[in-house]
Amino acid sequence: MSWKLFELLLQASLMTIFVSFISILAGLVIAIVLSAMRMSGNRWLYAGTGMFISFFRGVPLLVQLLLIFNLLPLIGITLPSLATAIIGLSLCTAAYQAENLRGGFEGVPIGLIESAEMAGFSRTQSFFWIRTPIALRMTFPALVNEAILILKASSLVSVVGLVELTKMAQNLSASTYQPLPIFASAGLIYLVINWGVAVVGRRVENALPGLPAK
Amino acid sequence: MSFDFAVILAKGPEILMGLGVTILIWIVGTFFAVILGFVVATARRFGGRLVDTLLTLPIEVLRGTPFLVQIFLLYFGGPYIGLRLDPITAGLLGLSVYGAAYYAEIFRAGYQSVPIGHVEAATCVGFSRGQTILFVLLPEMALLVMPPSLNMAVILLKETALLSLITVPEMTMTVSAIGSQQYAFVESLVVLAVVYWALVELANFLGRMTERKLSKLGTT
Amino acid sequence: MTDAAILVKNVSKKFGDTLVLRDINLEVPRGQVSCLIGPSGSGKSTLLRCMAFLEQATSGTITIEGEPLGFVEGPNGRRLQTAAELRQTRSKIGMVFQQFNLWPHMTALGNVSASLRRVRKLSKAEAEDRAMAQLEKVGLKERAGFYPSQLSGGQQQRVAIARALALDPTIMLFDEPTSALDPELTGEVLNVMRALADEGMTMVVVTHEIGFAASVGNKICFLDHGKLLFHDTPEKVFAAPREPRLEQFLDTYLDRGAIMLR
Repeated sequence: MSWKLFELLLQASLMTIFVSFISILAGLVIAIVLSAMRMSGNRWLYAGTGMFISFFRGVPLLVQLLLIFNLLPLIGITLPSLATAIIGLSLCTAAYQAENLRGGFEGVPIGLIESAEMAGFSRTQSFFWIRTPIALRMTFPALVNEAILILKASSLVSVVGLVELTKMAQNLSASTYQPLPIFASAGLIYLVINWGVAVVGRRVENALPGLPAK
Repeated sequence: MSFDFAVILAKGPEILMGLGVTILIWIVGTFFAVILGFVVATARRFGGRLVDTLLTLPIEVLRGTPFLVQIFLLYFGGPYIGLRLDPITAGLLGLSVYGAAYYAEIFRAGYQSVPIGHVEAATCVGFSRGQTILFVLLPEMALLVMPPSLNMAVILLKETALLSLITVPEMTMTVSAIGSQQYAFVESLVVLAVVYWALVELANFLGRMTERKLSKLGTT
Repeated sequence: MTDAAILVKNVSKKFGDTLVLRDINLEVPRGQVSCLIGPSGSGKSTLLRCMAFLEQATSGTITIEGEPLGFVEGPNGRRLQTAAELRQTRSKIGMVFQQFNLWPHMTALGNVSASLRRVRKLSKAEAEDRAMAQLEKVGLKERAGFYPSQLSGGQQQRVAIARALALDPTIMLFDEPTSALDPELTGEVLNVMRALADEGMTMVVVTHEIGFAASVGNKICFLDHGKLLFHDTPEKVFAAPREPRLEQFLDTYLDRGAIMLR
């Protein structure tokens, strides 16, 4: 396998990183909104978020992506494959991240919420300024883990027509008849990216202040 | 836009066939994944430092790369080194090996979380090493690893959908093929999503029941 | 209009079937320090939490500077205050907790300035200026940039006091402020509280520090099994404890004192 092929794979891996990164962030925002809806005390919002989370955790990502890819044009929305991929990945990771965050929100000591109440914070202010940052801090390791899962899951977005690392490997393997070294190289690149995310994640975890005392 | 689910549902028997293949591959693949994962974790636990180190690498590689890349490598790359497998065999092998890496980690954590005091207590009442493993370590570990193991099984169920991309005639492949034939692709995907959703929630439900039964046995 | 900062009238509180407060009547005058003492489980913390409406009394009323806390009297009887009304009434109260309850993701300065920024909507600079002044008051100006996990228990509790003072409350409630501290760290917290009392702050302090209660308290309230058994000046309470339960309670402290003296 030539260096040229490897270079093409490396270039495609930038798309993998980009799509995953944006999806993780968008998923995080959606997950926070889902958590707010679930904790709003409104029965319908609670049931709705429950359904959302159950669906996106219950259906294979491949099927979700195909569904979004084929459903959107049918209801008159045509998006480039990059946007479709990001929508699909973020909705899926949002469901998982909301589930992770649930544990974080439940772990915020009641005294910290009471002290916010006594400091004059409204429920909404307390949610955004006290509960959410603490829950995020407590579940940070789970977020790093989720980032790695999404990096791997992004290999599926080729089905909506986006050329990222896996799709590039497929294309190159079909045109050069060298699937073995090409897919092995793609695997190696995923491995290095995920290893990097894990290392940086651990560094950040150790450097971040602000875990509530036991 | 109009939805016509009748054309999809008319193909009920074919869909059921696909569902059957999905469940079969899932059950068999998970079974082998658990066995292989257990063997690997046990080898790492009792096989000395060299075995432990040697086994770390493949586990990390399998856990750090996408399942899709693994099965592409196996199915498309295999023939170049004389490993010519039909789709179902390749899918089954891929799922088992992929799952085994995760189960090996689950069991490794399980071995580590059995309190050392329990093992010492067994030694003190005169159990041999083998008896300690068989009567104390393994039963305690089985309770500890049950929740993550069931969780992993559900993940593997969803991963079987990827096998459609190496032409395994499982549910995703079958139903989307029906969708293209009938020009009802979205309908077929909706049916597919609902069936998976139901299947996963059913598996989750059974898992919770099992956990509840086992929790009565009392973990400390 | 009474001169009472806090007026507790016929307050009872049930947790399930357990009666934890039985018909409490208590007046905390402006500018005075009232100390709630009593054995654990006597209901003193619950009473304090009722004064902040963190617990809702089962019956009876609590009035903060003439305004009913938690309820609004209307033509059709009383109704619960809305969240905004409750915040308004509560703005007169600062609360200090046993477990400090500092927000772990903010620095000391962040903890103190948070309410000024988010509730008072002051600019960051102005909020931090004011917060810094409060930190200086509790002697922790140099620790402004530290996170709670980087501070000792005594320092954390002093930051918590500064945080409670940030919105200029007229009443300060202290829920066992030194109970979670190592003995050698209680002094610095008690000193800050003493200074606050000297400034004329109205304070209600649930405490096991009998010495502090005796020297700083204007009134001592002794609770036992949910009843307010004794409510008088420290001189009267400690000089002639005629109530058998109070005598018994104080004896346990004398024993402790004796052991510590040896």
